Amino acid sequence: MSEAKTTTRLEREMAAKRKRKIIAAVQYTLAILVTLIVLFPLYWMISSSVKSQEEILLAVPTLWPHEIHLENYLSVFKRVNFGKYYYNTIVMTAGILISQIVTGVFAAYGFSKGKFKGQGVCFLFVLGALMIPIQVTFIPIYIMCANWGLNDTFLGLILPECISPYYIFMLRQTFMAIDDSYIDAAKVDGLGRIGVITKILTPMCKSTLFTTTLVTFTNGWNSYFWPKIIAKNEQRRVLTVGLAQLKNTFAGQATMNNHEIMAGAVMAILPVVVMFFMFQKYMLTGYSKAAMK
Amino acid sequence: MKKTLAILLTMAMAAGLLAGCSGGGSTGGGAVQQTTQAAAADSAGSSETEAAETEAPAEVDASMYEVTEPITIQWWHSIEDQHSWIVEEVVNDFNNSQDLITVEPVYVGSYAQVNEALVAAHAAGTGLPAVTVANTPYVAEYGAGGLTEDLGPYAAATGYDLDDFSAGMLLASQYEGKQVALPFLISTQVIYYNKDIADAEGIEVPEDWSGMDAFLEKAAANGRTGLSIPGWDQWYFETFYLNRGLNIINDDQVTTDLGSDAGLELAHQFKDWYDKGWIYWTDNGSDASSNMRQSFIDGKAFAVSHTSSLYTTYVDSCDFEVGMAWLPGYNGSKDQEIGGCVLLIPSKNDQATKNAAWQFLCYLCGKETNMKWASATGYMPTRNSVLTTDEGKAFLEEKPAFQCIFDNLNLIYPRIQHPGWNQLATIWKNYMIEIMYEDVDIDSKIADMAEEIDEVLEDAVG
Amino acid sequence: MEKKPLINPKTTSAIKDFVCVLPSLILIAIFTYYPICKLVQISFTDWNLLNDTWNYVGMKNWVWLFNGSGTKYLLNSLKVTILYSIGELTITLVGGLIFALIFNRMNGAFSIMRAIVFMPKYVAMSSAAVVFLWILNTDTGILNYLLGFFGVAPVAWLQNRHTALFAVLMVTGWRAIGYGMMIYLSAMIGISKDYYEAASLDGATAWQRFWKITIPMLSPTTLFLFVTTFLSSMKVFQSIDILTSGGPYRSTEVFVYKIYQYAMEDFRMDRASVIAIAFFVLLLVFTALTFKVSNNSVHYDS
Repeated sequence: MSEAKTTTRLEREMAAKRKRKIIAAVQYTLAILVTLIVLFPLYWMISSSVKSQEEILLAVPTLWPHEIHLENYLSVFKRVNFGKYYYNTIVMTAGILISQIVTGVFAAYGFSKGKFKGQGVCFLFVLGALMIPIQVTFIPIYIMCANWGLNDTFLGLILPECISPYYIFMLRQTFMAIDDSYIDAAKVDGLGRIGVITKILTPMCKSTLFTTTLVTFTNGWNSYFWPKIIAKNEQRRVLTVGLAQLKNTFAGQATMNNHEIMAGAVMAILPVVVMFFMFQKYMLTGYSKAAMK
Repeated sequence: MKKTLAILLTMAMAAGLLAGCSGGGSTGGGAVQQTTQAAAADSAGSSETEAAETEAPAEVDASMYEVTEPITIQWWHSIEDQHSWIVEEVVNDFNNSQDLITVEPVYVGSYAQVNEALVAAHAAGTGLPAVTVANTPYVAEYGAGGLTEDLGPYAAATGYDLDDFSAGMLLASQYEGKQVALPFLISTQVIYYNKDIADAEGIEVPEDWSGMDAFLEKAAANGRTGLSIPGWDQWYFETFYLNRGLNIINDDQVTTDLGSDAGLELAHQFKDWYDKGWIYWTDNGSDASSNMRQSFIDGKAFAVSHTSSLYTTYVDSCDFEVGMAWLPGYNGSKDQEIGGCVLLIPSKNDQATKNAAWQFLCYLCGKETNMKWASATGYMPTRNSVLTTDEGKAFLEEKPAFQCIFDNLNLIYPRIQHPGWNQLATIWKNYMIEIMYEDVDIDSKIADMAEEIDEVLEDAVG
Repeated sequence: MEKKPLINPKTTSAIKDFVCVLPSLILIAIFTYYPICKLVQISFTDWNLLNDTWNYVGMKNWVWLFNGSGTKYLLNSLKVTILYSIGELTITLVGGLIFALIFNRMNGAFSIMRAIVFMPKYVAMSSAAVVFLWILNTDTGILNYLLGFFGVAPVAWLQNRHTALFAVLMVTGWRAIGYGMMIYLSAMIGISKDYYEAASLDGATAWQRFWKITIPMLSPTTLFLFVTTFLSSMKVFQSIDILTSGGPYRSTEVFVYKIYQYAMEDFRMDRASVIAIAFFVLLLVFTALTFKVSNNSVHYDS
């Protein structure tokens, strides 16, 4: 009787173990398959970027380049002003980052630790802006910037993006979590507001600041809509717009130049992808923090 | 003390904020209007004085149009990568030919993109190029908007001979009698056909619309399409309408006849051929042009209607002989339209830039530079001194297919000029693609189209 | 005698606090609220960028949009935008959840694979678009080449009105699905093990546990994903601009693209403004609806 019972229990455990193994096997297979599929476009981009033009045109595509042609990258720099696009993107992104951080930190302080009449209304005023995207308001903004002579300038690229209600909101939430006693103590030590912000709050919220900044950086670097509208001249064209333009530049040719376009695409994403692997953990929390609130 | 300062500062900023808010609704727009009006007045003023000068050519002060100091100017163009070597050569030659002016060529994109960038820069009054190309139908839009500088006084002051340009081309660069542009890279619509197949199967591109049925039926054999018509630019099919005597824009400037019986008949005709597989109507996607070219190169299409400027590209990439034919006319009317681009100087530039721009423009439109383009690409010679002389014969020997264009030179007319043309074109070509690709009620679609076109025409004029 | 301060220190402090937020308020007023007012004003004019002057034309543009030849474009953009949104939502929510279940294994190999699946989110859309433009090419694209092995005839992905939106969604999905997965995974980790153990003891199957515990516990995350994805998908522009330019014949002409076309290609600021306002109102209504519905159906684990 008892012997029979142990057998069935053993069998049941064996079965459960087998089942777990099967699930694991299925999970591994699916995961590897999915990963390969997701990876493919990136792989295709990179591998094509070092192929020769002849190889690009082969009727049977080659998975692995026959020869490595790094000169495709140089060729992109020669044919279009890719160096200039890089410079423009870097300056624009830096400008957006700095202005968003400065305005964001101060506003977040005012809304979390400050006290003034109408604070709630003002905060609603900021939150309401979250609901009005530039895709709606770009026409008047464009006319305004054009009248100020900001077409094809860095100021024109940066100004409409120099403040982020999202950034203010995120920082405010973080500042709220910090106990007032820290600030009172600092004030007793004779620190003014700027001191409190730079010496107390900012260091204490380093990680939020960092992750939110990463998100802002990526958005700035990858932005397309506004730069396309305000910077039509090549002098201030950014990478994303310049890359989309590449296909037009080569459109008149009888043969495809996809190897060079891919080289351009790789260069355009390089900084962000490198950063992604460096700060992978922060990258996710930047988003999931917002999700968890 | 500190506190008072802080209060003052706050009040100042608050005042600023309030001003910003209240300024929103009303004065913002007014300010825009004022500035633009002021600019318009400026340009009007200057053109008045210039006009006065033209009236009295003897008193033209040539020194006003001289370049006296070193200057760097921008030239916007649409010349794609495969011809960038000519751009480089031409610009370097010019830069080396004199000491004062340095030209920076900028590839802006397609003609449509140049148009977008140019109008935007004009509206802002900043970031304008000194010289820019413009697709032929935009001349009126720019002329009406005050975007272009009248080149007449410049030509008079510098003794530039405009009469050597082919008359039709010169006319296509004018707005209300003013020479607001000069012909640069000029082309026209042609039909390229596969001469090897034509000879083997005895197919001939008809000279008249009445021969189209027989031609298409023959040409569309053996798994081929007879003729590909680019749906991305109405320029390629508008001549069929014009030769019917149909007014794409009526004399009243605010209505179209595209919805008339003749217009309907043509739409039905195209659709019928499309459904039979005799013609192919391309989409207007970004790859449409290269896809169409590829289908011709691969022998999947017997003929394509395209711009004569691509002659060299077609010849170089096809392994069969490429024939070139004039578009079929209608009852003896075989008119065609000018295509390609003209060069102009935006009026909101300062005088020094304009003067330098004029020098460069003269050089670009000059006979030698023009022939450089003509022999390396499919663009046409623009000068009478080439077209009607031995040089023309030499050119034809090099490119015998151009005979059909030379034969019909006097049939190439300026584009329809209307400030609403661009919008009309967009509406028209979108409807045509929809009619071809979908099973829709053609009559009601064309009626909708005509209504929409009437609206934009009226908006543009009124 | 002690000198009485000119102004109450409390007031000074309040003013200083206000000064901290002031720059942000001013910038938001100039670049967000003022443009909305301006937009309304332009919608009553005949503003064309080509002309130097403009006039008030009353309701003309509004009539054009709601009871004229513009109506069908409005309805078309509405249809296309909503179809696109549904597509992106499905990919991000359903696809993301399925991916989260597949990749829900905490070891080194899986964390590398997760990183790879998540990374496309950081690839600029224009880079992704030019790659897919080639992958999806009818004649030379590798997708049709691979499908050829299964006997599928070449598909004109981006030139056919029935597949174009789907093709655009492929690119969007490629970038979005890993993001949905990561958000879901990080929420799943947060669900207490106790629930599952209790359910197991009650004899619940894995399937039941998934539906009765995981899904309800994830509902705040789902709401977050829904709202953010929905709002961003309504604003789609870049992928459409590079992949299809709104074509073939309007089948991918989403709202923002249509507004852009009127404003920056036709220079018709008047028509662009009325559509922009209609689009904005639509955004507001949809958002309000989402919150209303979600208030009743979201499970918060307190």
